[in-house]
Amino acid sequence: MTHLSVAGRRIELDKDGYLLALADWSEAVAEALAQQEQLILSAEHWQILHLLRAFYAEFQLSPANRPLIKYVALKLGPEKGNSLHLNLLFKGAPAKLAAKLAGLPKPTNCL
Amino acid sequence: MSKSLLIINRQSPWSGPSAREALDIALAGGAFDLPLGMLFLDDGVFQLAPAQQPSALQQKDLGANLQALPLFGVESLYASTRSLQERGLEQQTLTLAAEVLDDAALSALIDRYDQVITL
Amino acid sequence: MATLHVLSHSPFSDGRLSSCLRLLGPADGLLLCGDAVYALQPGTAQRQALELMPAAIGLFALDEDLCARALAAPARVQVVDYPGFVELSCRFDKVNSWL
Repeated sequence: MTHLSVAGRRIELDKDGYLLALADWSEAVAEALAQQEQLILSAEHWQILHLLRAFYAEFQLSPANRPLIKYVALKLGPEKGNSLHLNLLFKGAPAKLAAKLAGLPKPTNCL
Repeated sequence: MSKSLLIINRQSPWSGPSAREALDIALAGGAFDLPLGMLFLDDGVFQLAPAQQPSALQQKDLGANLQALPLFGVESLYASTRSLQERGLEQQTLTLAAEVLDDAALSALIDRYDQVITL
Repeated sequence: MATLHVLSHSPFSDGRLSSCLRLLGPADGLLLCGDAVYALQPGTAQRQALELMPAAIGLFALDEDLCARALAAPARVQVVDYPGFVELSCRFDKVNSWL
């Protein structure tokens, strides 16, 4: 089991680097997780991460790529809710990487 | 063209793994863009009853998960008129917008799909 | 698109058989295996309901499950072995297993 240290707090991660507890998440934790992935979070990233947390609050699960794209298109319009935009933001694996940075469990229906 | 699959979901939500397994088949199939339908039959209609609190049983919120079906591409949702009536459930109170069908219509529905599985 | 419905649970403890009978299409088939063959217990409402099914509906029961339970199938029901089960699965457009 690995962990992160953010502002003196110990944040537990699972073997794939996902947060064990949803409540441990903060923007500072997201920044630290992104740093591990060599990713600088822009306003575009934050928009998706907050949306993913809203998705989880509503449906209690992490979306696979297709439903993620559909949900983003529904909430932010098709210019953001398309695979090109999301792949560019999240290194070609939006469902997995964005879920990790948003502090959600790993999507189970995503290969 | 992928083969269409109808998942018949006929177990109550909290008594065992079947309700969750039926949902997992639907979510996995939806992620692969399979043409899917889900029919709530017998005790399966209890999955659609309003105001359930699975946290009292330390269970995951299946009802919230079911709401995600349309986003996973599973938009063909059906429930049995008879199963609802037998169990005192009203269509208007169901947590998902399922089309309610009588036995003859359900028989025709099963006939239309390429593959069917009942859990 | 005729369906072969496969039942394996006892009809005395469970509603699969009655739900299945209500949803059968006019050219569908029904195969009883495992505890579902108890539906053929003489003198029961379940056996009577099966004997009254329209002739177009194929009714089948798995031989070894009947033998094991000392049950005999009525003339209306065709007894099949495992190769027969496979042949039936291919004959119908699809198989619906009531798990």
